[in-house]
Amino acid sequence: MNQGGTKILPNLLVAAGVLVLAGLSALQSREIPPPVLQVAVGPGVAPWFVTVFLAVCGLGLLLAALRGGWAHDQDGTITEWGPLGLVGLGLFVNVALIETLGFILASTLMFPLVARGFGGRAPLRDLAIGFVLALSAFVLFDRVLGYKIGSGIVESLI
Amino acid sequence: MTTRRDVLRAGLLAGAAAGLGLPVSTPAFAQAITSLDVFVPAAPGGGWDATARAIEAAMRDDDIIKEFKFEHVPGAGGMTGLPRFINGKKGSSNAIMIGGMVMVGAGAVAKSPVTIANVTPIARLTGEALVIVVPEASPHKTLADLVAALKKDPKTVSWAGGSAGGSDHIFIGMLAKSQGVDPRSVAYVAYSGGGPAQAALLGNQVTAGVSGYGEFEEQIKAGKLRALAVSGDTGQFGVKSLKEQGIDVSLYNWRGVFAAPGITPAQRTALVGLFDRMVAGPAWKKTLETRGWEGIYLSGDAYGTYVNNEITRITAILKDLGLAA
Amino acid sequence: MSTLDNLMMGFGIALTPMNLLWALCGVTVGTAIGVLPGLGPGLTIALLLPITYKVDPTAAFILFAGIYYGAMYGGSTTSILINTPGESASIVTSLEGHKMAKRGRAGAALATAAVGSFIAGQIGTLGIAFLAEPVVNLALKFGPAEYFALMVLCFVTVSAVLGSYALRGLTALAIGLFFGLIGVDLQTGQARFHFGVMELLDGISVLIVAVGLFAIGETLHLAATKREEEKALELDGPVGMTKEDWKRSWKPWLRGTAFGFPIGAMPAGGAEIPTFLSYYTEKKLTKHPEEFGKGAIEGVAGPEAANNASAAGVLVPLLTLGLPTSATAAIMLSAFTSYGINPGPQLLQTQGPLVWTLIASLLIGNLMLLVLNLPLIRIWVKLLKIPAPQMYAGILVFATIGTYGISRSVVDLVLLYVVGFLGFLMRRFDFPTAPVIIGLILGPMAEQEFRRAMTISNGDMMIFIDKPIALSLLVIAALAALGPKLWSMLTARRG
Repeated sequence: MNQGGTKILPNLLVAAGVLVLAGLSALQSREIPPPVLQVAVGPGVAPWFVTVFLAVCGLGLLLAALRGGWAHDQDGTITEWGPLGLVGLGLFVNVALIETLGFILASTLMFPLVARGFGGRAPLRDLAIGFVLALSAFVLFDRVLGYKIGSGIVESLI
Repeated sequence: MTTRRDVLRAGLLAGAAAGLGLPVSTPAFAQAITSLDVFVPAAPGGGWDATARAIEAAMRDDDIIKEFKFEHVPGAGGMTGLPRFINGKKGSSNAIMIGGMVMVGAGAVAKSPVTIANVTPIARLTGEALVIVVPEASPHKTLADLVAALKKDPKTVSWAGGSAGGSDHIFIGMLAKSQGVDPRSVAYVAYSGGGPAQAALLGNQVTAGVSGYGEFEEQIKAGKLRALAVSGDTGQFGVKSLKEQGIDVSLYNWRGVFAAPGITPAQRTALVGLFDRMVAGPAWKKTLETRGWEGIYLSGDAYGTYVNNEITRITAILKDLGLAA
Repeated sequence: MSTLDNLMMGFGIALTPMNLLWALCGVTVGTAIGVLPGLGPGLTIALLLPITYKVDPTAAFILFAGIYYGAMYGGSTTSILINTPGESASIVTSLEGHKMAKRGRAGAALATAAVGSFIAGQIGTLGIAFLAEPVVNLALKFGPAEYFALMVLCFVTVSAVLGSYALRGLTALAIGLFFGLIGVDLQTGQARFHFGVMELLDGISVLIVAVGLFAIGETLHLAATKREEEKALELDGPVGMTKEDWKRSWKPWLRGTAFGFPIGAMPAGGAEIPTFLSYYTEKKLTKHPEEFGKGAIEGVAGPEAANNASAAGVLVPLLTLGLPTSATAAIMLSAFTSYGINPGPQLLQTQGPLVWTLIASLLIGNLMLLVLNLPLIRIWVKLLKIPAPQMYAGILVFATIGTYGISRSVVDLVLLYVVGFLGFLMRRFDFPTAPVIIGLILGPMAEQEFRRAMTISNGDMMIFIDKPIALSLLVIAALAALGPKLWSMLTARRG
């Protein structure tokens, strides 16, 4: 019932990803110097424990993948790259511009991109909705609740 | 980079605002400080938190600043919070951080990429003597008993206190060294402050505890913890100092305030001015009295020099004790 | 003072007009965010944390408690009227609830969910009140060894409930532990796993991981999945239950509560297990087995009660041990610390009035929720009409405020997206995400307590065996871990 062949490769990649994480963990654990103090258990013990744990999980997943992969409820679904890309682009725009333009404009620009990814059909209207939402959120959190969301172009005008 | 961008942006906005006839209200141009963001790099309930709350109370009572915001980032003698303060508040003219001797030591021990030298010194406020306590049920009735046990086998005497390399730790190291015990062999159990360490003491889990007197005061008064000695030159709160009990060790845990890096000299002067006014007022004097803190006020450049000397001194002590490389 | 006296004192404070207003605010906001998918109670409480600078702790905790319970009610509305539940604990409710709604019995499904949640919430909250003192008395004897043993038990419970997910669940747990290692070590001041990034020295906050996994990860997943438009079903007809409905509901409510509260109170018990247990129990016991799968009212009543009772249960370790066992609990814990209150066994002694007011206010808020969710349900249903494009875009705006707004650090925002992408992959490849949070919260606590215990014992592992409480906890953990396997081996041999 599983179309085994189609999931082996992605599952192998997942297992490889976990093993890479274990590798990273090993590299970082190695950088921890032995403790100066005569402590019973040094700061390096837990990191090595986690490294081994990750590695064992990674190997287990590798084995599972080679045996035909694990069943999951995403079988047969097709990834919608277009919408995913649009949402991803929205997030990227937000993080790239938030320091220069400020929270309000960055989030305003993110809004229509994400909405479009979910099938929104009126980008200009969404841009306006995004602006109003970001502006009111800023007023509520920065001015009323006392967050420090930082400065930006619109932020400085209100 | 950020600074240049901020300046540029501020300039643009000032121009725009002038053109529109709007009042300029970016923080960079604010002259009078109307609110303070107080950053406490320790768990609430500890000594730095108490200092922060005391500043708030005194400044409110004396009408210096009415609006306060607090942020706590506990851990590792302030070294967990310090990077967050530096990153989050860079250039902020109304942000202050509570800090002190503990952070100097923690920076040296952690060999952390950022230290207390990376923030702007404003003022030293208080000095507090530490106190050594044992649980009510402890067999150690006097300091001499405890020290004898330590000398016999340091591994069997466990000490609960603040984070590794902090004043509590340094103090126990000094005590051990003075008794000919290798400070590195002391069984020190680090908590994120005196408050959390209390639970271990009350539950009879550790041999002894060390922290600021204020942090153990309630339990000492309730008789649940027994105070054996204080770390100052002379006795306090009815407890004899180490010196008075024949051990030549003394240490004050000083606490002060720092501002964010990247502020202008004028902004720094404004902040120093606030504290100059605070210590002159009646509210702060009363606080010192009730809290049992010694008001060793020092501000501005003199304080900057003092902090630099402390960094040298504490790092040297820590090296001597084997706590810093 | 007896528990009842304490509770009366709590009511005395909670019933003042201002505090009632805070409770009303909390339950209203809570219900609204519960109805909307994506924004959980954790993120909402985190967004409102700055309120702790402005109001006294009592008011803030009344508000947070209202949000916490309110979100549970809101979630059930969504899972009955749309088939995509906002949170995992509501999945079971949607099994029968959505079918009931399709048959035009939405009103009855909503009513049994609301009344069941109310009853379970009240019983669960009274459970907190009466359990608090005995648990605290035990916890006062806890030292590092006992705490460590308790956490071992937590980890075993987490792994045990993974079931067929075991390998992927353990991987998720390991990823959480990995996140937990990032930052400065308390015992030695040593920086670990910082990858040369200074911002990482202060560790990764639970909030970022929770919002990343749940809000960002879920949004990416939904964007990448081809959907048929799931329209919210119209709610026509009255909201209420017939005599028959009441007769079929009251036993499932009580049984659901009996599953939910103890499992919720157990570290890492969560809400998924009790809701599933309740569902299968009702399916077995029902006199109308033919209705299961087509909209049986018992299948809504039981799991909904279990869900709310487990939410109450989570507060037991939080208030008595200072041990958060969910992301929301971890965020509430940070609210305590921002007031200078040390959560832990001493909380009840030092902050008695606050804790009892909180408990009283949970009882009051729960009653308010019943009113908000029966006669006023139609207002909440309108929230479901927000179209998906604008809703998900809006959720991302709030996720931005919740992270960047708090720290003003772009590194945090990048971290949020990285965790979000991880959450997306985990969702794609069918990994459970909750163990990541558990690993992140409990991992560092377990490590510190282990090392404290070892320092106290001078490196002697016997400390975990010499202390009776620690030993008992470890034995329970071993039984929980190995018991089922031994049992199946024994029965297999016999069979």
